[in-house]
Amino acid sequence: MKARLLLLQIAAPVVAILFGMLISSIIILAIGRNPLEVFGIMVRFSLTRTDSLFSILFKSTPLILAGLAVAMSFRVNLFNIGVEGQYYIGAFFAAYVGFTLRGLPPLVHLPLALAAAMIGGMLWGLLPIVLKLRRGAHEVITTIMMNYIASALLLYLIADIFRDPAQAGTPRVRTPDVAGAARIPSLGPFFAQFGLTGSDVQKVNALIIIGIVLAVVLAYALARTRFGYEVRAVAANPLAAEAAGIPNARVQFLVFMLSAGIAGLVGLNDILGFFGYLDIDFPKGLGFLGISIALLAKNHPIGVIPAALLLGFLDRGAQGVQFFARVPKETIVIMQAIIILAIVVAYELMTRYVRVQRKREAQLGTPPGPQAAMQPGSAEAGS
Amino acid sequence: MDENTFIELKGITKRFPGVTANDRVDLAVRVGEIHAIVGENGAGKSTLMRTLYGLYQPDSGTISVRGRPVVIESPRKALDLGIGMVHQHFMLIPVFTVAENVILGSEPAAGLGRLRIREADRRVKELSEQYGFALDPSAKVGRLSVGEQQRVEIIKVLYRGAELLILDEPTAVLVPQEVEDLFGNLRRLREQGKTIIFISHKLDEVLEISDRITVLRRGQIVGTVDAAGTTKAQLAEMMVGRPVLLELEHPPVPPGDVRLEARHFTVEEGRRQAVRDVSLTVRSGEIYGIAGVEGNGQTELVEALVGLRPLKSGVLLIDGRDVTHARARAIRLMGVAHIPEDRHRRGLALPMSGWENMILGHHYRQAFAAGAFLDQPSIDAFVADRVRDYDIRVADVAAPVLALSGGNQQKVIVAREFSFAPKILVAAQPTRGLDIGATEFVQRQVLEARSNGMAVLLISAWLEEVLSLSDRIGVMYGGELVAEFRRGEATAYELGLYMTGAKRKEAGATA
Repeated sequence: MKARLLLLQIAAPVVAILFGMLISSIIILAIGRNPLEVFGIMVRFSLTRTDSLFSILFKSTPLILAGLAVAMSFRVNLFNIGVEGQYYIGAFFAAYVGFTLRGLPPLVHLPLALAAAMIGGMLWGLLPIVLKLRRGAHEVITTIMMNYIASALLLYLIADIFRDPAQAGTPRVRTPDVAGAARIPSLGPFFAQFGLTGSDVQKVNALIIIGIVLAVVLAYALARTRFGYEVRAVAANPLAAEAAGIPNARVQFLVFMLSAGIAGLVGLNDILGFFGYLDIDFPKGLGFLGISIALLAKNHPIGVIPAALLLGFLDRGAQGVQFFARVPKETIVIMQAIIILAIVVAYELMTRYVRVQRKREAQLGTPPGPQAAMQPGSAEAGS
Repeated sequence: MDENTFIELKGITKRFPGVTANDRVDLAVRVGEIHAIVGENGAGKSTLMRTLYGLYQPDSGTISVRGRPVVIESPRKALDLGIGMVHQHFMLIPVFTVAENVILGSEPAAGLGRLRIREADRRVKELSEQYGFALDPSAKVGRLSVGEQQRVEIIKVLYRGAELLILDEPTAVLVPQEVEDLFGNLRRLREQGKTIIFISHKLDEVLEISDRITVLRRGQIVGTVDAAGTTKAQLAEMMVGRPVLLELEHPPVPPGDVRLEARHFTVEEGRRQAVRDVSLTVRSGEIYGIAGVEGNGQTELVEALVGLRPLKSGVLLIDGRDVTHARARAIRLMGVAHIPEDRHRRGLALPMSGWENMILGHHYRQAFAAGAFLDQPSIDAFVADRVRDYDIRVADVAAPVLALSGGNQQKVIVAREFSFAPKILVAAQPTRGLDIGATEFVQRQVLEARSNGMAVLLISAWLEEVLSLSDRIGVMYGGELVAEFRRGEATAYELGLYMTGAKRKEAGATA
């Protein structure tokens, strides 16, 4: 029975993906292409080429972190829509530490830059969570507003205050280069030992390891530590948690800060792992993708990893399809959205089914309630 | 069957996944009788009534109304057949008038959809007078008492032409005086030829009002008896399937030191003073019962006592120490156990497992700590111990508690709260929604705790419970403690007068 339920839990996203493909097929047919061919190209392009595989890993790295950040806030019934803004600020903090300090050894400079990124994210998350817990201001509204401010602030900082003087006269608007000691080492040399080379291999950096380790640690902490237990209790029933003496507000505050801190790391894949400077055109929108990923992962830290890889795969596949099948990239964007919707629906259906199954199991496993304490036989005496 | 039968069920079976809610149920209700259906929670009363009212379709069996076989596919069809249901939870709109509420859903309309409200007023007035309901059609429902609101619900059903009224636990929300009024109304309805099905698990009431009583147990009919000549003990045995001790032993326990003391408590809910200047003391070895209609400040009082709600003014003393500003965790660590009034709201985290719920509030104790981690082996031992001692029927302590029956859920809470030797117990509605067996179990635990020197504050809307368990009784009305009695000083009827605010006397005389 348990194995069956577990199987179902795995089957749900698969069914959802198939459903998403079915709907996408209709769209592909509508623009006069063969869906099977398009999917074939997508899978072949994404999964049979070394450069594609590593490109997926590179793209998934910030998505893992963004997914974790959003999932953590969801775990205490808070909606951190502000991961977007938090990672802008985190990216700037890291870049600032990276390009102002010189001559530090990597063992000091890189951790300092990572810490700065997390502090930047937390700073940007501080106002919404304080307003939420003290004044009841809804965090969805306040974090969205903070996103706008972060976006404008970042533009101002890069273009007007910290613009690299060496770029004067060029159209490039970016900060000075980050010191080598603050850059996240590439995993390229490691993969080169196995004969895997190329620019896409070079791009994959140690941040993905940080992301995966973080996911495992968070999952373990949630399941096994006393604080993790309190987090789960607050999520499951804040009123009962409060009655049990768990300080709801403090737990929510700490977890939201954790969420914002992780969010601060999202931008580093590109800033410290690849470019080595903060460009005004650095990748945006990763925070919002994090929301989809947390949703796909059902807020489970480990689930975030495959969810991020799926989005990375779809993104890479989109490039291939656009190039080889000459299907507009937007088709894939539509498919991404449909898959996410389908998964949400599939989860809901499955959750209901599992609940019914559990109830039935409980009723079959034990006679219902105290009636079991009666001696049968004396039962019919009254009638 | 004879022509006097209003409705007859034959072999009604209704299954839900994993459970047969009604198993070959035969039932005949005569025209003009008050027919009570009794049974424990989960015995299948509600399912049967929902089937009658067209909300469920039986898997097998037949229903006939006045001798003609019928299929009741919807509540609308039920109403067409003259069957109406008065729900336990009122479905009224407070800002509407009595008449507006009554016609809601079957509004008499003139051309262009204009409401013929005057006609509705007249009709409601007629019905009210015919059955002695004393309702003003133009009064706003929000201003009516609970008893009056219930009469509006009944008129709603009569207005739609019901001949057979199904009343689902109608007395659950009423004080004794209101119950008397309701019974008066029901007798009047019976005199005028209406048929009534009365669902309850309060045996005294059932014996008082009904002509015949049908007992359900685990989905099956145990039997139908005439109310005259049947005793409470016989009914209880039919319901439970074994002899039941209706009166628990209440041995004398010499009261000890004052453990819990509230001095001049005033507590706010929003801007309203929900509790006003309440003072009380509870001694070791004593049960102090608080009677009162729900919503008279009991919830807020309890929350203030256990550190979940700040006091506007007043002082809270535990074992003589001022803990007015202490929060829930500190108060728990001082030995205060709390059985919350609503187990799903404050008592349990339903999606979490049995073991996780059993350590809720104890999880920060050294006993369960292994550094930052939970000490799983000692937790497992503790949980196994509780499950055995409290006879909690759970197949798997790792499964979510939402799968447990209400009685077992309450046992999880009781087992948890009685752990780690508490000195004070604040028990709010500890037996709400439990069947006779589970109720007996919980009440026994409370009495045993008293014998062991615990100080117990018992808050219950169920008067019999307060009367049978308490050493002293306080009555709350409008946020104030309006009376205080020693055990045996007051009857249920007298308490009812204080509960409705009809009488008051200075409290604090018995401490």
